[in-house]
Amino acid sequence: MKNARKDSAGKITLSTLSRRQSRREFMIKTALAAGAFGAVPLRGWAADPVNIGALYPTTGSMAQIGVGCVAAAKLAVDMVNEAGGIKSLGGAKLNLIISDVQSDTTVTRTETDRLITGNKLSAIHGCYASALTLIASEVAERAKVPLITGSSSDQLNKGRTYTFTPFARASQFARAQLQMSKLVSDKPKVAVIFENTAFGTSTSNGLKELAPAEGVEIVMFEPYSAGFTDASPLINKVKSSGANTLFSVSYLNDLILIVRTVKQFGLNISINGGSGGFVIPDFYKNVGKLAEGLQGVAHWNHDVSEDAQKVNVEFKKRTGDFAFEYAGGLVAQTFMLADALERAASPDPQKVRAALSTLDVSSGYAAMAPGGKVKFGPDGKNIYGHPVGVQWQHGDLASIFPKEDARAPVMKI
Amino acid sequence: MFETVAQAVINGLLIGGIYALVSIGVTLIFGVVKIVNFAQGEFVMIGMYISFFLANQYGIDPLLSLFVTMPVLFVMGVLIQHFLIRRVLGPNDMPQIFLTFALSLLLLNLALMLFSANYRTVHTSYSDEAFHVGGLYIPEAKLIAFVVAMALSGLLWLFLHTTDLGKAMRAASQNRDVAMLMGINPNRVFCVALGIALALAGAAGSLLMPFYSAYPFVGQVFVLMAFVAVVLGTLGNVMGALIASLMMGIAESLGIQYVGADSGQIVVFAMLLLTLAFKPTGLGGGRAR
Repeated sequence: MKNARKDSAGKITLSTLSRRQSRREFMIKTALAAGAFGAVPLRGWAADPVNIGALYPTTGSMAQIGVGCVAAAKLAVDMVNEAGGIKSLGGAKLNLIISDVQSDTTVTRTETDRLITGNKLSAIHGCYASALTLIASEVAERAKVPLITGSSSDQLNKGRTYTFTPFARASQFARAQLQMSKLVSDKPKVAVIFENTAFGTSTSNGLKELAPAEGVEIVMFEPYSAGFTDASPLINKVKSSGANTLFSVSYLNDLILIVRTVKQFGLNISINGGSGGFVIPDFYKNVGKLAEGLQGVAHWNHDVSEDAQKVNVEFKKRTGDFAFEYAGGLVAQTFMLADALERAASPDPQKVRAALSTLDVSSGYAAMAPGGKVKFGPDGKNIYGHPVGVQWQHGDLASIFPKEDARAPVMKI
Repeated sequence: MFETVAQAVINGLLIGGIYALVSIGVTLIFGVVKIVNFAQGEFVMIGMYISFFLANQYGIDPLLSLFVTMPVLFVMGVLIQHFLIRRVLGPNDMPQIFLTFALSLLLLNLALMLFSANYRTVHTSYSDEAFHVGGLYIPEAKLIAFVVAMALSGLLWLFLHTTDLGKAMRAASQNRDVAMLMGINPNRVFCVALGIALALAGAAGSLLMPFYSAYPFVGQVFVLMAFVAVVLGTLGNVMGALIASLMMGIAESLGIQYVGADSGQIVVFAMLLLTLAFKPTGLGGGRAR
């Protein structure tokens, strides 16, 4: 850094002198100056950039959300850099290194490994889908590189010291969903239908276990085969169960069919679609007006704070869609990393980890989370982390639960 | 109680109509050309995407796009028979199996590349509406799909039984060698069979579009049921495939209602195994009609 400035000053002196001297001397000195300039490594002119790895599925079955995550990651890095980068590192810029994990667990393992060994990384974020994040976090743990993620699997907080999860955990989602059922009815009778794979089974079991403590009656609890051709037999069954609330733990396509079929049956039932595919712009695009009034849960929403709304405007400008939970969460995570880098004053991944573990923010973009506070416990969990209950209102997602995070009244349907 | 059963039967019957369109195509190709078309589901997918883009770009109702998807897929069928399948027709089955299987993978991955894995839906005025009869609900889009599917099946039956070309196709399916001796041009008959089968798949795609999402893997969902229906209704038997499809739709629906929501397919496959155990040639009888 200091050398660079001296060299640059030297070059200026040389060239000013050269004007007054003979052409031959001018040539020699210019050559010397050029030599001196060339000898200074380019990066010496500014602080070294800080490399941040980004692991997202941008191809394959999970690409839909993965592509949105990459757009958000780029936006976040631009925001940090435009605000002057990492000041304690001489205004170092963040440099995002993106890697496609192809919606595949094996690829995730090799890509995470390649990303870490091929680059000097200070930290990683990814992969949004828990199944992939679990693998990436294992690899990062061994390589001692901190990983920050919006994935919700509780498994990510077990036996790991380099993984940080600033948002609500899967187990918290179930509780929030049950409590939300009381927004609509004093005596909620809930039908739980879930697709019969690991995701659906674990989520629905969480609902079943917590229901009695929350005073919610479950009148139907049915697994179904994901990827059905027709939702009507299932909805016929929901109808005969007498439920007034439907929890559907489903992937996007099944959920679209379920919502449309409920409408066709003229069933007067409040639907909570959970998180994931339910709280992304694509859901509304596919279901349209039928989505109005449907409830879900998210780990982030664009109305949680003024900062979040600013992010939302910028994200909308870039992609045309509102900032969905992973996108907005990702911007917050990038600012958490920037905060840690600022305090660590070093791009060394272990020092960044140490700084992350003492992170304690309650304002600014880094604190953009339901509740507005982030502080990590020893298991890497945000001790203030909780989900936010959302409802589709006029083509947008509004936060309606819990009270302190609600930004709009519950829309009755 | 009665209402619930009736509703389950209606639901099953309506989706069975769609299974029928796909399975009739498979069974027609098998009966006439004697090959198993593993790519049939992908042609349903192509039909859906054509309908989707026509609706999305030009605002054409998916049902009207039948008049585009059916001819387009008919031509595709003729071309595929003429340039691909004709080359591998011989005593060895393996090249035929791999040809249609490769075609399926090719089309599936092309769709992934061109359209991405996103779900695409079309909203029509009747997409989410239903007729209410007594306490029963009959979704409009599905009823229309069922009626058109049955009408197309009826037209195919008429074609096979009243026209020379249709009779030639039945002849070829009953005994190819004798049919050839009688002066029937096999390639011409095969081309028409492929064309009709793919046109039916295209029709299924257009009929599905008002109430189902298009995505690259969508064909796989329907083709599995279609294969079961084809075997259940006796290979090569058009009427058998039709009846078996409707039965399967009903069995699946009742299974979901009374056994468990994830057992629709269990019921269907149990039905298949039982049928094969007691009547290995299928319910349609041993003879292609």
